[in-house]
Amino acid sequence: MSGRTLASPREMVERLVAGDRRAAARLITLIEDQSEQSGELMKLIYPHSGRAVILGLTGSGGSGKSTLINHLIARFRQQGKRVGVVAVDPSSPFSGGALLGDRLRFQSHSLDPGVYIRSMGSRGYLGGLARATGDVVRIMEAMGNDLVMVETLGAGQDEIDIIDVVQTCLLILTPGMGDDIQAMKAGIMEVADLIVLNKADLDGATSCQKALEATIGLAGGRGEGGWTPPVIPTVATGSRPEDVRGVDELVEAIEAHQAYLSRSRTLEAVRARRVERELGLVFKDEVEKLVFKALKGTGKKRDYIEAILAGRGDPYSIVEEVLGAFVKA
Amino acid sequence: MSQGRAVKAAGDACGQVNWDDYLKAYYDKPESARTWSGYEVKEIYTPADRAGEDYRRDIGHAGQYPFTRGIHPNMFRGRYWTRREVVGIGSPADTHERAAFCFEQGGTGLNTIADVTYEMGLDADHPWAMSEVGLTGVNITSLRDMETLVGDIPLDKVSWSVITASTAASVTMAQYVAVAQAKGYDLSVLRGSIQNDPIHFRYCGFRPACPLDLSIKLGADVMEFCTQHMPKWYYTTVNMYDLREQGITAPQEVAFGLGIARCYIDELIRRGLDIDQFAPRFTFYVSCHVDFFEEIAKIRAARRMWARLLKEKYGAKDPRSMQFRFAVHTAGCSLIPQQPLNNLVRIAYEALAAVLGGVQSLHCCSYDEPMCLPTEKGHLQALRTQQIIAYETGVTNVADPLGGSYYVESLTDKMEEEALKVMKQVEDLGGMEEAIRTEWLDRQFEMEAVKRQREADNGQKLIVGVNIFTSEPEKTTPLGVQRIPEQSARQQIEEVRRLKASRDKNKLNQAIQRLREDAQAGRNTIPAMIEATKALATTGEILGTVRQVFGYSYDPMGIIESPFN
Amino acid sequence: MSKEKIKVIVSKVGLDGHDRGAKVVASLLREAGLEVVYLGLYQTPEGIIQAAIDEDADVIGLSYLSGEHLVYTPKIVEEMRRNGLEDVLLLVGGSFPPEDIPLMKRMGVDEVFRGGSLTDDIVGFIRQNARQEA
Repeated sequence: MSGRTLASPREMVERLVAGDRRAAARLITLIEDQSEQSGELMKLIYPHSGRAVILGLTGSGGSGKSTLINHLIARFRQQGKRVGVVAVDPSSPFSGGALLGDRLRFQSHSLDPGVYIRSMGSRGYLGGLARATGDVVRIMEAMGNDLVMVETLGAGQDEIDIIDVVQTCLLILTPGMGDDIQAMKAGIMEVADLIVLNKADLDGATSCQKALEATIGLAGGRGEGGWTPPVIPTVATGSRPEDVRGVDELVEAIEAHQAYLSRSRTLEAVRARRVERELGLVFKDEVEKLVFKALKGTGKKRDYIEAILAGRGDPYSIVEEVLGAFVKA
Repeated sequence: MSQGRAVKAAGDACGQVNWDDYLKAYYDKPESARTWSGYEVKEIYTPADRAGEDYRRDIGHAGQYPFTRGIHPNMFRGRYWTRREVVGIGSPADTHERAAFCFEQGGTGLNTIADVTYEMGLDADHPWAMSEVGLTGVNITSLRDMETLVGDIPLDKVSWSVITASTAASVTMAQYVAVAQAKGYDLSVLRGSIQNDPIHFRYCGFRPACPLDLSIKLGADVMEFCTQHMPKWYYTTVNMYDLREQGITAPQEVAFGLGIARCYIDELIRRGLDIDQFAPRFTFYVSCHVDFFEEIAKIRAARRMWARLLKEKYGAKDPRSMQFRFAVHTAGCSLIPQQPLNNLVRIAYEALAAVLGGVQSLHCCSYDEPMCLPTEKGHLQALRTQQIIAYETGVTNVADPLGGSYYVESLTDKMEEEALKVMKQVEDLGGMEEAIRTEWLDRQFEMEAVKRQREADNGQKLIVGVNIFTSEPEKTTPLGVQRIPEQSARQQIEEVRRLKASRDKNKLNQAIQRLREDAQAGRNTIPAMIEATKALATTGEILGTVRQVFGYSYDPMGIIESPFN
Repeated sequence: MSKEKIKVIVSKVGLDGHDRGAKVVASLLREAGLEVVYLGLYQTPEGIIQAAIDEDADVIGLSYLSGEHLVYTPKIVEEMRRNGLEDVLLLVGGSFPPEDIPLMKRMGVDEVFRGGSLTDDIVGFIRQNARQEA
């Protein structure tokens, strides 16, 4: 089957739901590029999504997220689960290009038909994800994956969009890098569900773990029934198999949180937050498109700028006036 | 920023001369007042630049501490450097043939290099090795291969530099010794060197095969064994050359090379050896790049730094411990495929710099290396390059002829100063092992490599044939292309299979068991490796067994299991 | 509609560990505005092609520095054909004789960039020849 045969949206989604990776890859590109068919396609895809376990991994570069994902993929595959992974890396604000180097660390799973991996550049979107990441997760769900992992870029400080996309959010920290302090200051600890202390074989790991647990303790348990994020020490990188530690405990902690979500019915709130975010994004995009479509080619935007500069108005008044026309219509 | 293609020539593609461009070319001058590594240099150096110089303390005569001017008092008047061309091509038999050819043409030392399969520590019949055996060097899987490689070359007369592969240096040493003993040689008469620098090899793309702790262990095992049993053998050539090939600067080359050397020295001292017991046999493998004076200054600075390091930091008393003994490999990364015959000229200047720098052993690249393994003709030209320098140019008549040049002495000081800065950076990180473990060194290599490409892209570094004086791409290689006959590889793989099927399994198992026990007990593994080699254990089997003891996978590629479990 | 970004897989194949060139090209392609998936060392033809499929890549860039260009190119091209990736650009860089270039092109390589190539040439070729349709 040639990759570029233009099938109809319906056909493509049918193939996707049947597990066709080529269709998935192509669809992801179309959605990422915000092609004209994006809306149409997402309408067809949406009903097939919403059933997978969704994990997020956030933490600064060098914390070992990708290497942990490599181990997690292996564990979940052993459990017979089909796994999707979305890895987001920053796009250059100057050139718009990106070096997508996360895949390298779990590339050994490429040839496993039960694993689908996709890298994404952030393409200027702030918040730690790309604009289309949320949609890509839905595509991976529709494809038949039981579990989808999202790896964000960023230090988990400002880049916290992930929290509204995933069910279980892992924050990866390492001892002595200072990001543990930063994280505590930024309050990210209050929203991550699991704190992973990777490179736990480094000096200062034990005291770091204690400090983190103390800070979490102060914040108290969250949600109904109270979930207190555990701190899980891991050593993800080891040239020897026996050097790798903490992965089993991490998997258990993930499962424990998932169990907590269903048992305490917090899962519903999580699902609601995800949908609310999507609604917000789509509204914002569509409204923007509407307005710019109306303005495009009319020269009105330049008129508005000139008016403001000449003192005949301000952005707020002008926008109110313009949008007023839409509301009336 | 403009990309490349500076106008230097007055002619255009149609052969028309633009007279304005001609005038520009006539009045052209250097655009950069910097060395290749980026250091600014003045228009002229005078006695004023040497005002504070202390000849006795900082320079000395050749053969005198701190050896800035050379390690022997009369340098080449006492003996020419060894003309030692690197040979590694196809099967052990093919390599032997080419090595013999170099001898016939006047080479005075042997130098053999491994292919990527041996560099990864794999047998020729490993699934990943089979398609690549012999393509870039020689694969030595068993004792038989080493026997074929050595042939009838007298090991007590010929100085053999076994570059083969640092990963497998311990096994290579064992294989070499096994062959020598079978031929009746006493170990004390064997002459030559083995590269044996597994630490640096992780940066040459063989990281799975060179975990840091194992590298230090096996490297030091070879050093210790040779110190005790092979007084005429140089047990390491710490390889700064490969590091320089990553694109780093001259001072970084020296700093990182000395840093790695210190890892081995510290380990040997930890094992209880006295510095003067082993340091006289410590050698280095150094690059000579195309910036003529910078390379000479770099070498002189390295000699002074090594002397001071050994004397002041390690308390060496024997002057031979303080002598920076080195071989040069002209810089492969300075060669380009465009207008390949130009490479002959680059290599000649680089070789001249090495000689003026006071080298002990020299390999000149073959002009065709950006295209293929050296052809016989290419190898010959490389050898002739050395011979012309030695016999025609007269530069060998005087030790350190550039010593005393206001420029060269100032640049030597500058190289030392910059290299010491880098060494301090490494110290501040916690030492070389930390710099390696935290991948700080990797990041330096990556940064410098991108810088070099940018410099070529934007014309900051001018390279004839690349961004100036370019021409239509060649369709052929001037002196032909070296091909590796598929037959060679297949034959060797067949022989390996036959050997594995027909050898004495009991003897083999016993030898492997002994190796395992020695490795587990922390003993020097070389004696057990020698015994295992004689029992026809292969490279992959020997290395794999030791890997397992250290908790690593038997196979660096993670595909095959140990047959001895 | 035309693609937003050109996606390039940069990879090494087999045992060859010389990755300096591949890493440099990956960085500089990023600076030129392309999205580069860097696979690194010790890849198999199958693994590279699977990544190209999953990532919906427009270009596959390989680096050969150990004489293996005639060993692996046919395998890569074969895998590409088997998986319907004919419209994906196959570019090759590294170290090999100019005599082998016409042969590699006949095998299916779209263009060759040996050592001494300037970044602009590589980027220019990709922009002109990579597929335009999303």
